[in-house]
Amino acid sequence: MTTQLDAKTDRQEPPAKALPLTAQTLASKESPHAKHGYVQVTFFIMAIAALAVLWSVTFRLIDNEVASARVNAINAVSTLGLTYEAQVVRAIREIDQSLNILKRGYEIGSNKATLTLVEDWGLLLPDFLFVTSITDTNGNITSSTRGFEKTNIADQSYFQEQLEFDHLAVSSPWQAPYNKAWKLTFSRRINTPSGAFAGIAFTSVDASYFVSGYEVSQLGQHGALGILGTDGIFRTRRSGETIISGELADYAHLVPDSDEVEDQGVRLLTNSWDQVKRYTIATKLYDIPLVVILGLSEKEQLAASAQLRQLYLQRAVGASIIILMLAAVMFYLSRQLQQSRQRIMDEQITHAQQVEHLAYHDSLTGLPNRSLFSELLRQGIAESKRYDRRFALLFLDLDRFKIINDTLGHDVGDKLLIEVAKRLNDALRETDTVARLGGDEFVVLLPEMNDEKQLSEVARKILSAVGEPFRLSGQDLCITVSIGISAFPLDGEDEQTLVKNADIAMYHAKEGGKNNFSFYSEELSADSLERLALESSLRLALEREEFTLFYQEKYNLSSNEVTGAEALLRWQHPTLGLVLPIQFLPLAEETGLIVPIGKWVIETACRQAIDWLEQGLPPRCISVNLTARQFSDAHLPGDIASILQTTGLNPTQLELEISENLLLSDFDKNIEVLTRIKALGVRIAIDNFGTSYTSLSTLEQFQFDSLKIDSSVIRDVAKEPENRHLTEAIISVGRAIAVTIVAEGVETQEQADFLLASSCDQVQGFYYDKPSSIKKPQSMPFPGKNYLPSGLVSNINLGNKVCDASKAVNIARPVRNPK
Amino acid sequence: MSYKKRHKKLIRVALLAICFAVASAHSEVVIVVSASSPVTELSKSQISKIFLGKSRRFPDGSRAVPLNQSEGNSERDAFYQLVSGKSPSQVKAHWTKLIFTGRGQPPKEAANSDAVKDLLADNGVNIGYIDQSAVDDSVKIVAIK
Repeated sequence: MTTQLDAKTDRQEPPAKALPLTAQTLASKESPHAKHGYVQVTFFIMAIAALAVLWSVTFRLIDNEVASARVNAINAVSTLGLTYEAQVVRAIREIDQSLNILKRGYEIGSNKATLTLVEDWGLLLPDFLFVTSITDTNGNITSSTRGFEKTNIADQSYFQEQLEFDHLAVSSPWQAPYNKAWKLTFSRRINTPSGAFAGIAFTSVDASYFVSGYEVSQLGQHGALGILGTDGIFRTRRSGETIISGELADYAHLVPDSDEVEDQGVRLLTNSWDQVKRYTIATKLYDIPLVVILGLSEKEQLAASAQLRQLYLQRAVGASIIILMLAAVMFYLSRQLQQSRQRIMDEQITHAQQVEHLAYHDSLTGLPNRSLFSELLRQGIAESKRYDRRFALLFLDLDRFKIINDTLGHDVGDKLLIEVAKRLNDALRETDTVARLGGDEFVVLLPEMNDEKQLSEVARKILSAVGEPFRLSGQDLCITVSIGISAFPLDGEDEQTLVKNADIAMYHAKEGGKNNFSFYSEELSADSLERLALESSLRLALEREEFTLFYQEKYNLSSNEVTGAEALLRWQHPTLGLVLPIQFLPLAEETGLIVPIGKWVIETACRQAIDWLEQGLPPRCISVNLTARQFSDAHLPGDIASILQTTGLNPTQLELEISENLLLSDFDKNIEVLTRIKALGVRIAIDNFGTSYTSLSTLEQFQFDSLKIDSSVIRDVAKEPENRHLTEAIISVGRAIAVTIVAEGVETQEQADFLLASSCDQVQGFYYDKPSSIKKPQSMPFPGKNYLPSGLVSNINLGNKVCDASKAVNIARPVRNPK
Repeated sequence: MSYKKRHKKLIRVALLAICFAVASAHSEVVIVVSASSPVTELSKSQISKIFLGKSRRFPDGSRAVPLNQSEGNSERDAFYQLVSGKSPSQVKAHWTKLIFTGRGQPPKEAANSDAVKDLLADNGVNIGYIDQSAVDDSVKIVAIK
């Protein structure tokens, strides 16, 4: 199973405990989202701005074009109007001039041939356009340049007009009967020398003559050119090729009211006759009852600009489409970018979460690890302080887990841990936190809880949950757990204290027989504290050479000589000072450290014995205690053999002690081990004899070399007759099977006296010798009974007793057995 | 391609032949100058310009004064048709405009071909047109280029 997989699957399992950690901070920093939103909005704003500029410029250009087209049209109308006016005036003057010549000719002498004469002189207008005629007083035509339609024109309005006025008369348009062409007639009155009416001279011309200057290139197809009588009747007008005469016009509307010439400007009018909107100019002629009209169609004049406008609009639309497309592309790209950034961000967050999960969770069980737990605990403490809440901490340690791991393998161990984690989670509320600190250690955080009754219930629940057999790799496994409980704020107000105290309580539970829970109390503290400190430093003690051996001599009562010494292990801790075996040996046993330590003890003791020999002392037997763990170590006989070989000590000078309890725990196997050791030539002693129930047959099955009566028996030997009898019995049994009897813990004169009287072989105890590091090299004579002040007795006794009780290393110094 | 071109050419020639046939059926107009005039040949366009008031000089730079025949004379209509392709009303409209805008005066007119010959001899004018049948020693036919 890979860690990656674990981390993934585990994530759903225990609800991830909230922490203000990197992933969250990353996630909360999701500003790029918003930032990209702004960018996109900016694209739109830019696009809209560009469109606004584009269209305003376009409309302005169009407006300018139209405006200049209008100005041009007005100017053109003004200029063309002036030109047309001049042409009309000149044309009429020419007509008037020829009429005046005739008028004068006829007034000078009334000759019928005058007209022909004048024509021959070339003073008349070309006759293919102008038909000039003369009438008498009655309107009868007397002569004409061409055949005229009528013979009498007396009924014509211009004739009537000439009867009355002597001026240039302009007729209304009339149609020639033969070709329906519209004609205009201009006439002059001929007077008699006395000034009476003598007839008229008149010229008829096609009305279209006056609009023959119409240029389509200047006026367009819908321009207007014409002359209007002050009577409101069009003499003629022309638009494109259409020429019309005799039509009535809205004179008042068309011709400005004022007589002021200056006022006659260009106006935009919808011309009444054809409803075309034109820039129009209407100019009254001087002294002639005619108005010259010229107009340019607005539509035609603005056509170019309209076309331009169309073009501009098309371009603007095109540009708009491009802008919008660009904006869309930008938007799209930016969106893509944003999405990919978002993806990367998500990946980063996911990754960060994974990393975080890995960093804060135990990869095996998926539970929060020590770091996360410690963070959660800190938070829990802070919150509980702030809101005056309470909570409890459970420290769990699986019993016998190490054995399972060692015997069934780590795979099974791992699976077991996973299962335990699962069960713990199932057994607890969602708000509770289960964390794995490492190895087989778990902690549980129970918020809002510190009532002992409730906590006990939870603890029991956990015990029973874990206590159910586990089915792992095809075998049923039973495991128990020991729980230590500390409560906030009673058992500590900070993280370390709470954890430490729960741990201490857990140890207490373990000592209380495992599969158990225990509440922390202050009494537990002192004891366990040392243990905690010791555990870590014990591992280093050997290499740091912190161990030393103390020796307590043994005496032969009858000879009053030193026969040997028992090696006692002491630990000179750099900060704690001298540590007694009872404080660290259980730990050494538990951790297996006792094996190397024990080897070191045996070797050191052997070297000491050699040293004594080299100092010239008589051979002494050095005795070393063996513990249960050492004893179960298969390498023990080999180790002893190699030590003897390296040190060169005579095997008979080494005595190994095994306590009666240990011997009986697995008698057959132990006897077997003992037999192998004894085969090396080493002496074997039963220690603490008299505390258990060794049968005599037991003693027969193996040839022990010594038998050490336990100090508890010796202590009361002076007072208790039972002990006295027991001692005597042991001594006599020992004699019977030829074993050296050693009495331990001899402290008083009375005890010494009794033992001497009972013929005990050897004695050991404070009464004779106080354990000390290195024995003085001389063979000290038996010290007197008052060797030490009684005040120290209990002290030394205590040390000795501790040593015994802990099954620490004892050293018997057996006298060469006198037998 | 060449076949098509040829085809067109044939049609053109045929049409032209019909025109001449019609014209000759009516009357044959020739452009004439006085017998002493140095002018020998002119293009239709040069003649048309002189008679429509657009040009006042011969190609050699000497002054050209055209003489028209009276309105309604068949020679006149045939002449304008020949040199400018204009109908009588088109010619009239041309002069109407020129007179109205003051840009020219129409040529003098003679009543018939004989009058043309007389006037050419008189020397006030120096180019005219007459019916071919009226040609005599007093005038010289101008070749049309």
